[in-house]
Amino acid sequence: MNAPNRYELYVLEDGEKPVEVIEDTKIPNAATIKILKQDHTLGNMLRAQLLAMPQILFAGYKVPHPLHPYFLIKIQTDGTITPQALLDQACEKLIGTLSSLEAKFKREFSYKDVEGAVGAASAAPGAGGPAGHLDVDPYGAGASAGGGAGGGQGAGAGGSGGWSQGRDYLDL
Amino acid sequence: MQATTELEPTVRIRELTKDKVNFVLENVDLAFANSFRRVMMADLPTVAIDMVEIEVNTTVLPDEYIAHRLGMIPLLSSNCDEAIRYTRDCTCLAGCPFCSITLMLHVSCNDNNTMDVTSNHLEVLPFPEDQDIQADPGEELSKRGEYFGHPVGKNDPNAEPVLICKIRKGQELKVKCTVKKGIAKEHAKWSPCSAVAFEYDPYNKLRHTSYWYETDVRQEWPLGDNAKEEEAPRDDEPFDYLAKPTKFYLDVETDGSLSPQEVVMKGLAELQQKLANLIYGLKQGPELENQQQANGTGAEPSWNISSTAPAPAPIPPTSAWSGGASSQWGNTSPGQRSTSNAGWGASPQAGAWSSGATAGWSSPGQQSNGWNV
Repeated sequence: MNAPNRYELYVLEDGEKPVEVIEDTKIPNAATIKILKQDHTLGNMLRAQLLAMPQILFAGYKVPHPLHPYFLIKIQTDGTITPQALLDQACEKLIGTLSSLEAKFKREFSYKDVEGAVGAASAAPGAGGPAGHLDVDPYGAGASAGGGAGGGQGAGAGGSGGWSQGRDYLDL
Repeated sequence: MQATTELEPTVRIRELTKDKVNFVLENVDLAFANSFRRVMMADLPTVAIDMVEIEVNTTVLPDEYIAHRLGMIPLLSSNCDEAIRYTRDCTCLAGCPFCSITLMLHVSCNDNNTMDVTSNHLEVLPFPEDQDIQADPGEELSKRGEYFGHPVGKNDPNAEPVLICKIRKGQELKVKCTVKKGIAKEHAKWSPCSAVAFEYDPYNKLRHTSYWYETDVRQEWPLGDNAKEEEAPRDDEPFDYLAKPTKFYLDVETDGSLSPQEVVMKGLAELQQKLANLIYGLKQGPELENQQQANGTGAEPSWNISSTAPAPAPIPPTSAWSGGASSQWGNTSPGQRSTSNAGWGASPQAGAWSSGATAGWSSPGQQSNGWNV
Protein backbone atom coordinates (compact mmCIF):
# COMPACT_ATOMS: atom_id res chain seq x y z
CA MET A 1 0.00 0.00 0.00
CA ASN A 2 2.80 2.40 0.79
CA ALA A 3 4.96 1.26 -2.08
CA PRO A 4 6.46 4.18 -3.93
CA ASN A 5 5.40 4.72 -7.51
CA ARG A 6 7.54 2.69 -9.82
CA TYR A 7 8.24 5.60 -12.09
CA GLU A 8 10.10 7.28 -9.25
CA LEU A 9 12.96 5.02 -10.27
CA TYR A 10 13.53 6.93 -13.47
CA VAL A 11 11.61 10.23 -13.36
CA LEU A 12 13.01 13.23 -11.54
CA GLU A 13 10.70 14.62 -8.93
CA ASP A 14 9.50 18.20 -9.13
CA GLY A 15 12.48 20.49 -8.82
CA GLU A 16 14.89 17.67 -8.20
CA LYS A 17 18.31 18.35 -9.65
CA PRO A 18 19.58 15.66 -12.00
CA VAL A 19 23.23 16.16 -11.12
CA GLU A 20 25.04 16.92 -7.90
CA VAL A 21 28.77 17.59 -7.83
CA ILE A 22 30.63 16.78 -4.63
CA GLU A 23 34.16 18.04 -4.90
CA ASP A 24 36.82 15.98 -3.21
CA THR A 25 38.54 17.78 -0.35
CA LYS A 26 41.50 15.45 -0.06
CA ILE A 27 42.38 14.56 -3.63
CA PRO A 28 43.32 17.27 -6.11
CA ASN A 29 41.28 17.63 -9.30
CA ALA A 30 38.81 15.04 -8.18
CA ALA A 31 35.07 15.05 -7.73
CA THR A 32 32.29 12.61 -7.11
CA ILE A 33 29.27 13.33 -9.22
CA LYS A 34 25.90 12.02 -8.18
CA ILE A 35 23.56 11.42 -11.06
CA LEU A 36 19.97 10.88 -10.06
CA LYS A 37 17.42 8.60 -11.64
CA GLN A 38 19.97 6.91 -13.86
CA ASP A 39 21.56 3.50 -13.69
CA HIS A 40 24.29 1.31 -15.15
CA THR A 41 23.15 2.17 -18.67
CA LEU A 42 24.58 5.63 -18.34
CA GLY A 43 27.12 4.98 -15.59
CA ASN A 44 29.10 2.25 -17.27
CA MET A 45 29.07 3.97 -20.65
CA LEU A 46 30.37 7.22 -19.15
CA ARG A 47 33.00 5.42 -17.11
CA ALA A 48 34.33 3.68 -20.21
CA GLN A 49 34.36 6.90 -22.22
CA LEU A 50 36.15 8.79 -19.43
CA LEU A 51 38.83 6.13 -19.19
CA ALA A 52 39.47 6.54 -22.89
CA MET A 53 40.22 10.25 -22.52
CA PRO A 54 43.82 11.41 -22.18
CA GLN A 55 43.27 13.82 -19.24
CA ILE A 56 41.87 11.16 -16.94
CA LEU A 57 43.64 9.73 -13.91
CA PHE A 58 40.75 7.85 -12.41
CA ALA A 59 37.16 7.13 -13.33
CA GLY A 60 34.84 4.73 -11.61
CA TYR A 61 31.15 4.48 -10.92
CA LYS A 62 28.95 2.67 -8.49
CA VAL A 63 25.30 2.20 -7.74
CA PRO A 64 25.49 2.23 -3.94
CA HIS A 65 22.22 0.42 -3.44
CA PRO A 66 20.00 -1.27 -6.00
CA LEU A 67 16.88 0.26 -4.50
CA HIS A 68 18.23 3.80 -4.64
CA PRO A 69 17.87 5.12 -8.15
CA TYR A 70 21.11 7.00 -8.58
CA PHE A 71 24.75 6.35 -9.25
CA LEU A 72 28.00 8.02 -8.24
CA ILE A 73 30.78 8.60 -10.69
CA LYS A 74 34.19 9.48 -9.32
CA ILE A 75 36.54 11.35 -11.59
CA GLN A 76 40.11 12.50 -11.10
CA THR A 77 41.81 14.45 -13.84
CA ASP A 78 45.42 15.47 -14.46
CA GLY A 79 44.63 19.09 -13.60
CA THR A 80 44.31 20.50 -17.09
CA ILE A 81 40.55 20.33 -16.85
CA THR A 82 37.95 20.08 -14.09
CA PRO A 83 36.18 16.76 -13.58
CA GLN A 84 32.85 18.36 -14.46
CA ALA A 85 34.18 19.71 -17.73
CA LEU A 86 35.68 16.36 -18.57
CA LEU A 87 32.40 14.61 -17.89
CA ASP A 88 30.73 17.14 -20.13
CA GLN A 89 33.27 16.37 -22.87
CA ALA A 90 32.70 12.65 -22.44
CA CYS A 91 28.97 13.17 -22.92
CA GLU A 92 29.53 15.25 -26.03
CA LYS A 93 31.80 12.61 -27.44
CA LEU A 94 29.33 9.84 -26.78
CA ILE A 95 26.57 11.86 -28.39
CA GLY A 96 28.83 12.28 -31.41
CA THR A 97 29.43 8.54 -31.60
CA LEU A 98 25.75 7.85 -31.21
CA SER A 99 24.68 10.25 -33.91
CA SER A 100 27.23 8.91 -36.36
CA LEU A 101 25.99 5.43 -35.57
CA GLU A 102 22.45 6.66 -36.05
CA ALA A 103 23.29 7.91 -39.53
CA LYS A 104 24.88 4.59 -40.39
CA PHE A 105 21.89 2.67 -39.15
CA LYS A 106 19.60 4.86 -41.20
CA ARG A 107 21.60 4.14 -44.30
CA GLU A 108 21.70 0.42 -43.61
CA PHE A 109 17.97 0.30 -42.99
CA SER A 110 17.22 2.22 -46.16
CA TYR A 111 19.27 -0.28 -48.18
CA LYS A 112 17.32 -3.11 -46.67
CA ASP A 113 14.07 -1.34 -47.39
CA VAL A 114 14.88 -0.85 -51.03
CA GLU A 115 15.91 -4.44 -51.39
CA GLY A 116 12.39 -5.25 -50.26
CA ALA A 117 13.76 -7.72 -47.79
CA VAL A 118 11.47 -6.30 -45.20
CA GLY A 119 8.05 -5.56 -46.47
CA ALA A 120 7.67 -5.79 -42.78
CA ALA A 121 7.83 -2.52 -41.00
CA SER A 122 5.55 -0.86 -43.48
CA ALA A 123 3.20 -3.75 -44.07
CA ALA A 124 2.49 -4.36 -40.41
CA PRO A 125 -0.97 -3.08 -39.64
CA GLY A 126 -0.82 -0.08 -37.44
CA ALA A 127 2.66 0.98 -38.34
CA GLY A 128 0.78 3.96 -39.59
CA GLY A 129 3.77 6.25 -39.69
CA PRO A 130 6.31 4.48 -41.82
CA ALA A 131 3.85 3.03 -44.27
CA GLY A 132 4.53 3.05 -47.96
CA HIS A 133 7.73 4.91 -48.48
CA LEU A 134 9.65 2.47 -50.56
CA ASP A 135 10.19 4.93 -53.37
CA VAL A 136 11.77 7.66 -51.30
CA ASP A 137 14.57 7.97 -48.82
CA PRO A 138 12.67 6.67 -45.84
CA TYR A 139 14.40 8.94 -43.40
CA GLY A 140 14.09 12.18 -45.23
CA ALA A 141 16.99 13.97 -46.78
CA GLY A 142 17.54 16.36 -43.91
CA ALA A 143 18.17 13.87 -41.18
CA SER A 144 21.80 13.06 -40.71
CA ALA A 145 24.53 12.82 -38.17
CA GLY A 146 24.66 16.57 -37.85
CA GLY A 147 21.61 16.69 -35.65
CA GLY A 148 23.43 15.37 -32.65
CA ALA A 149 26.24 17.46 -31.34
CA GLY A 150 24.86 20.76 -32.52
CA GLY A 151 21.64 20.66 -30.57
CA GLY A 152 23.52 19.90 -27.39
CA GLN A 153 22.82 22.85 -25.20
CA GLY A 154 19.41 23.51 -26.62
CA ALA A 155 17.67 20.44 -25.42
CA GLY A 156 15.97 21.27 -22.17
CA ALA A 157 15.68 18.94 -19.24
CA GLY A 158 12.15 18.00 -20.07
CA GLY A 159 12.67 18.41 -23.78
CA SER A 160 10.97 15.54 -25.45
CA GLY A 161 12.45 16.39 -28.83
CA GLY A 162 14.91 13.87 -30.12
CA TRP A 163 18.36 14.76 -31.18
CA SER A 164 18.18 14.37 -34.85
CA GLN A 165 16.78 17.47 -36.33
CA GLY A 166 14.93 17.63 -39.57
CA ARG A 167 12.65 14.98 -40.80
CA ASP A 168 12.39 11.78 -38.98
CA TYR A 169 11.73 8.40 -40.46
CA LEU A 170 8.34 8.50 -38.84
CA ASP A 171 7.22 11.78 -40.32
CA LEU A 172 6.41 10.35 -43.69
CA MET B 1 40.84 1.48 -25.69
CA GLN B 2 42.36 4.45 -27.41
CA ALA B 3 42.45 2.65 -30.70
CA THR B 4 38.81 1.64 -30.59
CA THR B 5 37.58 5.11 -29.84
CA GLU B 6 39.62 6.70 -32.62
CA LEU B 7 37.98 4.55 -35.26
CA GLU B 8 34.52 5.42 -36.45
CA PRO B 9 31.87 2.97 -35.34
CA THR B 10 30.39 0.88 -38.11
CA VAL B 11 27.30 -1.23 -38.42
CA ARG B 12 26.26 -3.94 -40.84
CA ILE B 13 22.74 -5.31 -40.89
CA ARG B 14 22.85 -9.01 -41.67
CA GLU B 15 19.18 -9.74 -41.57
CA LEU B 16 16.04 -7.66 -41.33
CA THR B 17 12.60 -9.17 -41.09
CA LYS B 18 9.22 -8.07 -39.81
CA ASP B 19 10.08 -8.55 -36.17
CA LYS B 20 13.81 -9.07 -36.06
CA VAL B 21 17.03 -7.34 -36.96
CA ASN B 22 20.46 -8.92 -36.81
CA PHE B 23 23.47 -6.65 -37.04
CA VAL B 24 27.17 -6.43 -36.36
CA LEU B 25 28.47 -3.41 -34.49
CA GLU B 26 32.16 -2.61 -34.81
CA ASN B 27 34.67 -0.24 -33.24
CA VAL B 28 32.70 0.60 -30.16
CA ASP B 29 33.35 -0.05 -26.49
CA LEU B 30 31.89 -3.02 -24.73
CA ALA B 31 30.22 -0.59 -22.33
CA PHE B 32 28.75 1.37 -25.21
CA ALA B 33 27.34 -1.70 -26.93
CA ASN B 34 25.92 -2.93 -23.65
CA SER B 35 24.25 0.40 -22.90
CA PHE B 36 22.71 0.29 -26.33
CA ARG B 37 21.35 -3.17 -25.59
CA ARG B 38 20.01 -2.12 -22.20
CA VAL B 39 18.30 0.97 -23.55
CA MET B 40 16.55 -1.01 -26.28
CA MET B 41 15.27 -3.49 -23.75
CA ALA B 42 14.23 -1.24 -20.91
CA ASP B 43 13.91 2.42 -21.85
CA LEU B 44 11.63 2.64 -24.85
CA PRO B 45 8.01 3.57 -24.28
CA THR B 46 5.23 1.35 -25.57
CA VAL B 47 1.59 0.89 -24.62
CA ALA B 48 0.21 -2.07 -22.70
CA ILE B 49 -2.89 -2.92 -20.73
CA ASP B 50 -2.34 -1.58 -17.23
CA MET B 51 -5.70 -1.74 -15.53
CA VAL B 52 -8.44 -4.28 -15.90
CA GLU B 53 -12.01 -3.96 -14.67
CA ILE B 54 -13.58 -7.36 -14.55
CA GLU B 55 -17.32 -7.19 -15.09
CA VAL B 56 -18.05 -10.87 -15.59
CA ASN B 57 -15.66 -13.73 -15.15
CA THR B 58 -17.18 -17.17 -15.04
CA THR B 59 -14.16 -18.82 -16.60
CA VAL B 60 -11.93 -21.25 -14.78
CA LEU B 61 -9.15 -18.70 -14.44
CA PRO B 62 -9.13 -16.26 -11.51
CA ASP B 63 -9.43 -12.53 -12.16
CA GLU B 64 -5.84 -11.64 -11.38
CA TYR B 65 -4.58 -14.43 -13.60
CA ILE B 66 -6.54 -13.02 -16.53
CA ALA B 67 -5.49 -9.46 -15.69
CA HIS B 68 -1.87 -10.52 -15.81
CA ARG B 69 -2.29 -12.32 -19.11
CA LEU B 70 -4.01 -9.29 -20.62
CA GLY B 71 -1.16 -7.06 -19.52
CA MET B 72 1.38 -9.13 -21.39
CA ILE B 73 -0.39 -8.85 -24.76
CA PRO B 74 1.68 -6.70 -27.12
CA LEU B 75 -0.19 -3.73 -28.56
CA LEU B 76 0.84 -1.72 -31.60
CA SER B 77 2.82 1.22 -30.22
CA SER B 78 4.42 2.79 -33.25
CA ASN B 79 5.43 6.42 -32.61
CA CYS B 80 4.58 6.06 -28.94
CA ASP B 81 6.75 9.06 -28.00
CA GLU B 82 4.36 11.48 -29.61
CA ALA B 83 1.13 9.58 -29.88
CA ILE B 84 0.29 9.26 -26.21
CA ARG B 85 1.21 10.85 -22.87
CA TYR B 86 2.24 9.27 -19.65
CA THR B 87 -0.67 9.38 -17.24
CA ARG B 88 1.60 11.02 -14.66
CA ASP B 89 2.21 13.93 -17.07
CA CYS B 90 -1.41 14.32 -18.08
CA THR B 91 -3.66 17.02 -16.71
CA CYS B 92 -6.70 14.80 -16.59
CA LEU B 93 -8.01 13.34 -13.36
CA ALA B 94 -9.19 9.89 -14.32
CA GLY B 95 -8.00 8.98 -17.76
CA CYS B 96 -8.53 10.76 -21.04
CA PRO B 97 -7.96 9.97 -24.71
CA PHE B 98 -4.53 11.61 -24.55
CA CYS B 99 -3.13 9.29 -21.92
CA SER B 100 -5.17 6.13 -22.18
CA ILE B 101 -6.94 3.80 -24.55
CA THR B 102 -9.81 1.53 -23.60
CA LEU B 103 -10.10 -2.04 -24.82
CA MET B 104 -13.22 -4.15 -24.32
CA LEU B 105 -13.37 -7.91 -24.24
CA HIS B 106 -16.73 -9.64 -24.12
CA VAL B 107 -16.96 -13.29 -25.02
CA SER B 108 -19.37 -16.00 -24.02
CA CYS B 109 -19.59 -19.58 -25.17
CA ASN B 110 -22.91 -21.05 -26.23
CA ASP B 111 -22.03 -24.27 -27.98
CA ASN B 112 -20.64 -27.56 -26.89
CA ASN B 113 -17.08 -27.00 -28.04
CA THR B 114 -14.33 -25.45 -26.02
CA MET B 115 -13.81 -21.90 -27.19
CA ASP B 116 -10.59 -19.89 -27.28
CA VAL B 117 -10.64 -16.32 -25.98
CA THR B 118 -7.80 -14.58 -27.79
CA SER B 119 -6.33 -11.15 -28.31
CA ASN B 120 -8.46 -10.91 -31.45
CA HIS B 121 -11.51 -10.49 -29.25
CA LEU B 122 -10.16 -7.25 -27.78
CA GLU B 123 -11.93 -4.28 -29.30
CA VAL B 124 -10.74 -0.71 -29.04
CA LEU B 125 -13.49 1.36 -27.50
CA PRO B 126 -13.78 4.89 -28.85
CA PHE B 127 -13.62 7.38 -26.02
CA PRO B 128 -17.10 8.55 -24.96
CA GLU B 129 -17.94 11.87 -26.55
CA ASP B 130 -19.62 13.38 -23.52
CA GLN B 131 -16.39 13.25 -21.59
CA ASP B 132 -15.31 16.84 -21.92
CA ILE B 133 -11.92 17.11 -23.51
CA GLN B 134 -9.85 19.14 -21.12
CA ALA B 135 -8.70 22.63 -21.81
CA ASP B 136 -5.29 21.46 -22.88
CA PRO B 137 -5.89 19.33 -25.94
CA GLY B 138 -2.73 17.95 -27.41
CA GLU B 139 -1.90 16.87 -30.87
CA GLU B 140 -1.26 13.32 -29.70
CA LEU B 141 -4.30 11.87 -31.44
CA SER B 142 -3.21 13.09 -34.85
CA LYS B 143 0.17 11.40 -34.45
CA ARG B 144 -1.32 7.97 -34.04
CA GLY B 145 -1.38 5.35 -36.72
CA GLU B 146 -4.71 3.89 -37.66
CA TYR B 147 -4.28 0.83 -35.46
CA PHE B 148 -2.43 2.38 -32.52
CA GLY B 149 -3.21 0.41 -29.37
CA HIS B 150 -4.66 -2.60 -31.19
CA PRO B 151 -3.35 -6.03 -30.28
CA VAL B 152 -0.46 -7.06 -32.47
CA GLY B 153 -1.55 -9.24 -35.38
CA LYS B 154 -5.24 -8.57 -34.92
CA ASN B 155 -7.20 -9.52 -38.02
CA ASP B 156 -4.02 -10.62 -39.72
CA PRO B 157 -4.97 -14.07 -41.00
CA ASN B 158 -1.33 -15.13 -41.00
CA ALA B 159 -0.71 -14.23 -37.38
CA GLU B 160 -1.66 -16.55 -34.57
CA PRO B 161 -3.52 -14.54 -31.90
CA VAL B 162 -2.52 -14.59 -28.25
CA LEU B 163 -4.60 -17.04 -26.24
CA ILE B 164 -6.04 -15.44 -23.10
CA CYS B 165 -8.16 -18.28 -21.79
CA LYS B 166 -10.37 -21.18 -22.84
CA ILE B 167 -14.07 -21.28 -22.01
CA ARG B 168 -16.80 -23.91 -22.27
CA LYS B 169 -20.55 -23.71 -22.67
CA GLY B 170 -22.16 -21.23 -20.31
CA GLN B 171 -18.98 -19.42 -19.35
CA GLU B 172 -18.43 -15.76 -20.03
CA LEU B 173 -15.67 -13.23 -19.80
CA LYS B 174 -16.35 -9.50 -19.91
CA VAL B 175 -13.57 -7.08 -19.05
CA LYS B 176 -12.70 -3.46 -19.66
CA CYS B 177 -9.00 -2.79 -20.04
CA THR B 178 -7.24 0.53 -19.74
CA VAL B 179 -4.11 0.85 -21.83
CA LYS B 180 -1.29 3.05 -20.58
CA LYS B 181 2.06 4.16 -21.82
CA GLY B 182 5.08 3.01 -19.89
CA ILE B 183 8.61 1.67 -20.08
CA ALA B 184 10.02 -1.73 -19.21
CA LYS B 185 11.85 -0.40 -16.17
CA GLU B 186 8.44 -0.16 -14.57
CA HIS B 187 7.17 -3.50 -15.83
CA ALA B 188 8.58 -5.87 -18.44
CA LYS B 189 5.27 -5.89 -20.30
CA TRP B 190 6.25 -2.52 -21.75
CA SER B 191 9.39 -3.85 -23.34
CA PRO B 192 9.25 -3.77 -27.13
CA CYS B 193 11.85 -6.56 -27.25
CA SER B 194 11.09 -10.19 -26.73
CA ALA B 195 14.74 -11.14 -26.99
CA VAL B 196 18.02 -9.39 -27.56
CA ALA B 197 21.01 -11.55 -28.36
CA PHE B 198 24.39 -10.01 -27.61
CA GLU B 199 27.66 -11.74 -28.36
CA TYR B 200 31.28 -10.80 -28.78
CA ASP B 201 34.52 -12.71 -29.08
CA PRO B 202 33.05 -16.04 -30.25
CA TYR B 203 36.42 -17.78 -29.87
CA ASN B 204 36.85 -16.52 -26.30
CA LYS B 205 40.23 -15.07 -27.20
CA LEU B 206 39.79 -12.44 -24.51
CA ARG B 207 39.03 -15.08 -21.89
CA HIS B 208 36.11 -13.14 -20.52
CA THR B 209 34.62 -16.51 -19.70
CA SER B 210 35.91 -19.94 -18.89
CA TYR B 211 34.20 -23.03 -20.17
CA TRP B 212 33.38 -25.95 -17.95
CA TYR B 213 33.98 -29.25 -19.69
CA GLU B 214 34.36 -32.95 -19.01
CA THR B 215 37.12 -34.02 -21.36
CA ASP B 216 37.44 -31.83 -24.44
CA VAL B 217 36.48 -28.13 -24.55
CA ARG B 218 36.27 -27.90 -28.31
CA GLN B 219 33.99 -30.83 -28.66
CA GLU B 220 31.73 -29.87 -25.84
CA TRP B 221 31.47 -26.18 -26.78
CA PRO B 222 30.78 -26.01 -30.51
CA LEU B 223 31.30 -22.65 -32.16
CA GLY B 224 28.31 -20.50 -33.03
CA ASP B 225 27.57 -18.89 -36.38
CA ASN B 226 29.22 -15.66 -35.37
CA ALA B 227 32.57 -17.44 -35.26
CA LYS B 228 32.57 -17.38 -39.07
CA GLU B 229 32.99 -13.62 -38.88
CA GLU B 230 36.28 -13.85 -37.05
CA GLU B 231 39.60 -15.55 -37.48
CA ALA B 232 40.23 -18.56 -35.32
CA PRO B 233 43.18 -18.15 -32.98
CA ARG B 234 46.24 -20.22 -33.68
CA ASP B 235 46.98 -22.84 -31.09
CA ASP B 236 50.30 -21.30 -30.15
CA GLU B 237 48.94 -17.77 -30.05
CA PRO B 238 49.93 -16.09 -26.79
CA PHE B 239 47.16 -14.51 -24.71
CA ASP B 240 46.87 -10.81 -25.39
CA TYR B 241 45.74 -9.51 -22.03
CA LEU B 242 45.44 -5.95 -23.32
CA ALA B 243 43.02 -6.81 -26.10
CA LYS B 244 39.56 -5.25 -25.99
CA PRO B 245 36.43 -6.48 -27.70
CA THR B 246 35.54 -4.39 -30.75
CA LYS B 247 33.04 -6.47 -32.68
CA PHE B 248 29.56 -7.13 -31.33
CA TYR B 249 26.86 -9.35 -32.74
CA LEU B 250 23.36 -8.28 -31.82
CA ASP B 251 20.03 -9.73 -32.69
CA VAL B 252 17.03 -7.67 -31.65
CA GLU B 253 13.72 -9.47 -31.75
CA THR B 254 10.60 -7.46 -31.02
CA ASP B 255 7.20 -8.58 -29.84
CA GLY B 256 5.57 -6.67 -32.68
CA SER B 257 4.61 -3.57 -30.71
CA LEU B 258 7.37 -1.64 -32.48
CA SER B 259 9.22 -2.54 -35.66
CA PRO B 260 12.83 -3.59 -35.13
CA GLN B 261 14.03 -0.52 -36.95
CA GLU B 262 12.02 1.72 -34.69
CA VAL B 263 13.49 -0.03 -31.67
CA VAL B 264 17.05 0.49 -32.87
CA MET B 265 16.58 4.11 -33.90
CA LYS B 266 14.61 5.03 -30.79
CA GLY B 267 17.21 3.28 -28.69
CA LEU B 268 19.97 5.46 -30.09
CA ALA B 269 17.83 8.56 -29.69
CA GLU B 270 17.00 7.67 -26.10
CA LEU B 271 20.67 7.24 -25.20
CA GLN B 272 21.44 10.63 -26.70
CA GLN B 273 18.57 12.11 -24.76
CA LYS B 274 19.95 10.71 -21.53
CA LEU B 275 23.37 12.20 -22.24
CA ALA B 276 21.85 15.51 -23.27
CA ASN B 277 19.91 15.73 -20.03
CA LEU B 278 23.13 15.07 -18.16
CA ILE B 279 24.96 17.84 -20.00
CA TYR B 280 22.04 20.13 -19.29
CA GLY B 281 22.11 19.12 -15.64
CA LEU B 282 25.83 19.80 -15.39
CA LYS B 283 25.35 23.25 -16.90
CA GLN B 284 22.26 24.05 -14.86
CA GLY B 285 23.55 22.93 -11.48
CA PRO B 286 25.68 25.95 -10.58
CA GLU B 287 23.32 28.45 -12.19
CA LEU B 288 20.37 27.19 -10.22
CA GLU B 289 22.28 27.52 -6.99
CA ASN B 290 23.21 31.10 -7.78
CA GLN B 291 19.62 31.90 -8.56
CA GLN B 292 18.54 30.33 -5.30
CA GLN B 293 20.99 32.40 -3.31
CA ALA B 294 19.91 35.57 -5.06
CA ASN B 295 16.35 34.84 -4.09
CA GLY B 296 17.43 34.22 -0.53
CA THR B 297 15.86 30.82 -0.47
CA GLY B 298 18.74 29.32 1.42
CA ALA B 299 20.56 26.12 0.89
CA GLU B 300 17.64 23.81 1.36
CA PRO B 301 14.76 25.25 -0.56
CA SER B 302 11.42 23.60 -0.24
CA TRP B 303 11.01 22.88 -3.88
CA ASN B 304 7.42 21.91 -3.97
CA ILE B 305 5.85 24.92 -2.41
CA SER B 306 8.37 27.65 -3.06
CA SER B 307 7.25 29.97 -5.78
CA THR B 308 10.85 30.43 -6.79
CA ALA B 309 11.13 26.80 -7.72
CA PRO B 310 12.03 26.71 -11.36
CA ALA B 311 9.45 25.56 -13.84
CA PRO B 312 6.60 24.39 -11.65
CA ALA B 313 4.94 22.58 -14.48
CA PRO B 314 1.17 22.65 -14.42
CA ILE B 315 0.93 19.13 -13.17
CA PRO B 316 -1.99 18.47 -10.89
CA PRO B 317 -1.56 16.49 -7.70
CA THR B 318 -0.46 13.26 -9.22
CA SER B 319 -1.17 11.36 -6.07
CA ALA B 320 -4.86 11.59 -6.63
CA TRP B 321 -4.46 9.39 -9.60
CA SER B 322 -1.26 7.58 -9.77
CA GLY B 323 -1.15 6.44 -6.20
CA GLY B 324 -3.67 3.71 -5.67
CA ALA B 325 -4.58 3.31 -9.25
CA SER B 326 -6.90 0.41 -8.87
CA SER B 327 -8.84 1.85 -5.99
CA GLN B 328 -9.54 5.03 -7.90
CA TRP B 329 -11.12 3.03 -10.60
CA GLY B 330 -12.85 0.70 -8.33
CA ASN B 331 -14.68 3.61 -6.74
CA THR B 332 -15.99 4.87 -10.00
CA SER B 333 -17.60 1.57 -10.74
CA PRO B 334 -19.01 0.09 -7.58
CA GLY B 335 -20.07 -3.47 -7.82
CA GLN B 336 -17.37 -4.27 -10.30
CA ARG B 337 -14.23 -5.94 -9.29
CA SER B 338 -11.22 -4.17 -10.56
CA THR B 339 -7.78 -5.52 -10.59
CA SER B 340 -4.71 -3.55 -11.29
CA ASN B 341 -2.19 -5.81 -12.82
CA ALA B 342 0.59 -3.33 -12.43
CA GLY B 343 2.09 -5.21 -9.58
CA TRP B 344 2.12 -8.57 -11.18
CA GLY B 345 4.98 -10.61 -12.25
CA ALA B 346 7.85 -8.33 -11.46
CA SER B 347 9.99 -7.40 -8.56
CA PRO B 348 8.96 -4.14 -6.97
CA GLN B 349 11.72 -2.20 -8.61
CA ALA B 350 13.47 -2.19 -11.91
CA GLY B 351 15.22 -5.22 -10.55
CA ALA B 352 16.28 -7.24 -13.47
CA TRP B 353 17.69 -4.31 -15.30
CA SER B 354 19.30 -2.17 -12.74
CA SER B 355 19.82 -4.01 -9.54
CA GLY B 356 23.21 -4.35 -8.04
CA ALA B 357 23.02 -8.05 -8.53
CA THR B 358 23.40 -7.54 -12.22
CA ALA B 359 26.45 -5.40 -11.79
CA GLY B 360 28.57 -8.26 -12.89
CA TRP B 361 26.71 -8.42 -16.18
CA SER B 362 26.75 -4.88 -17.10
CA SER B 363 30.12 -3.82 -15.86
CA PRO B 364 32.68 -6.29 -16.99
CA GLY B 365 35.48 -4.20 -15.58
CA GLN B 366 37.18 -5.20 -12.39
CA GLN B 367 35.87 -3.86 -9.13
CA SER B 368 37.88 -2.16 -6.49
CA ASN B 369 36.38 -1.00 -3.26
CA GLY B 370 32.96 -1.25 -4.76
CA TRP B 371 33.84 1.03 -7.68
CA ASN B 372 33.60 -0.33 -11.16
CA VAL B 373 36.79 0.91 -12.66
